[in-house]
Amino acid sequence: MQVDQTLDCKGLSCPMPIIKLAKTVKKMNSGEVLELMGTDPGSKTDVPAWCEKTGNIFLDQKEEGGAFIFYIKKK
Amino acid sequence: MFKKGVLKELFDGLFGKTWPMWVGGILLAVLNILLFVIKYPWGGSGGYINIGQNLFQTLGAKSLGTGTPISLHTVALLNIFIVLGAFISSLFSKEFSIKVAPIGELVKGLIGGALMGIGATVGIGCTIGGFFSGVPALSGGALFLSLGFMLGTFVALRYLLWEMEALPKISMGKSCTLIPGTGKKTGWQRWLGWILIAVVLYIFSNYTAKGTALSKILGWHIFIALILGIILQRSRYCITRAFREPFMTGEATAPVAIIISVLVVLIGFTVLKFFGVGNAGETAVRAIEMKSVYANFWLRALIGGFIFGLGMTVAGGCAVGTLWRAGEGHVKLWMSALGFTIMAPISKTFIVPWITKIIPESLRSKLFLPDVLGYTGAVVLILVILLLWYMFVKWNEKTGKFSAL
Repeated sequence: MQVDQTLDCKGLSCPMPIIKLAKTVKKMNSGEVLELMGTDPGSKTDVPAWCEKTGNIFLDQKEEGGAFIFYIKKK
Repeated sequence: MFKKGVLKELFDGLFGKTWPMWVGGILLAVLNILLFVIKYPWGGSGGYINIGQNLFQTLGAKSLGTGTPISLHTVALLNIFIVLGAFISSLFSKEFSIKVAPIGELVKGLIGGALMGIGATVGIGCTIGGFFSGVPALSGGALFLSLGFMLGTFVALRYLLWEMEALPKISMGKSCTLIPGTGKKTGWQRWLGWILIAVVLYIFSNYTAKGTALSKILGWHIFIALILGIILQRSRYCITRAFREPFMTGEATAPVAIIISVLVVLIGFTVLKFFGVGNAGETAVRAIEMKSVYANFWLRALIGGFIFGLGMTVAGGCAVGTLWRAGEGHVKLWMSALGFTIMAPISKTFIVPWITKIIPESLRSKLFLPDVLGYTGAVVLILVILLLWYMFVKWNEKTGKFSAL
């Protein structure tokens, strides 16, 4: 998957990852893919919910070494 | 850990996926009603104050000390065992790790916690004792405390959004994650969870075996706190979120979950108060009616609630949100708990006497709503407020009129 931008939210807890996610996606171009890394278990539900609400496309998520990695495509 | 079968299925069902917040909310509501019957409705800030006072006493600062040891304080025990319950739950769900946030975030945790310590002592109550118990307890002050939470949250959220633009470095920088629950060699986490469950049950049985009325009450607080901690962590029940989200993402899931749970507590508490149920042998019926009704109506509650709202938004968790997230390993919330614990006794000793001097007694009185409106009027008033809040959050979810993101 081609990633256009990466956002490191490791160590951050709610609400910081979602605020950063929203701010970052706002500055991206349509169709670009963001890779978000975080360690807050809440992100597992928050990120897909935010995508659904805002119409951005939630592509995938995985876990690696204690971090959750999400891929989001800007609408 | 388990062979495939019904037990594994049950375990995976409980700890494999996050529970819907409203499910957690209803379970928490039921336990809150039980706490009312056993002794007193659920609270959080009283525990922080007690632990802080004990800490100062140990350090030799007698003026900030207390006469009640932690082991005999119901709310302090609730807080400690909620952390433990959430820790066990996050071990079982493989969500535990020590999540070290960048230094700026840790400072925000400390400041947020300290603000909550001030807010809870000035306003008398936090999001649990003042809101989750206070509103269903038909307290007039609780309504103003809740309004204060909302105003404080709104202002602090504006700050967070500004900070992201103007001072992005605060939430950037070195962070790390220690002993994550995912990956290889993590089986020990679940074993540790089981060992801790056994330890808590041992402490519970020790308390109850003593046989005195107080020890039985304390024992059951420990047991209920364990369950509270597990429910809180699994459902990620977050009152901060309920107040914040309409103004942030606009999602209504958390506010609706909180409304449902408050409704359940409202039914329970109203019945208990109306019939004077709960430890009535020792307590007068009037004292039962006045449970979770504090001398804060209305200005004291509004000011305290506002300060608390600022704190919980900056910290990212209220009194109880701090506890279960601390159990999950968020170091920022460890700092929040520390700030709360240190500042609450300081505020109680130095700030509260000053506040009570400048706020006239008529603006910091105990108001039990049924005294003015009757039981029916009081319950209808709260139902109307909850309904209006529900309509607002659902409308806002669709239109995004008040959402910043």
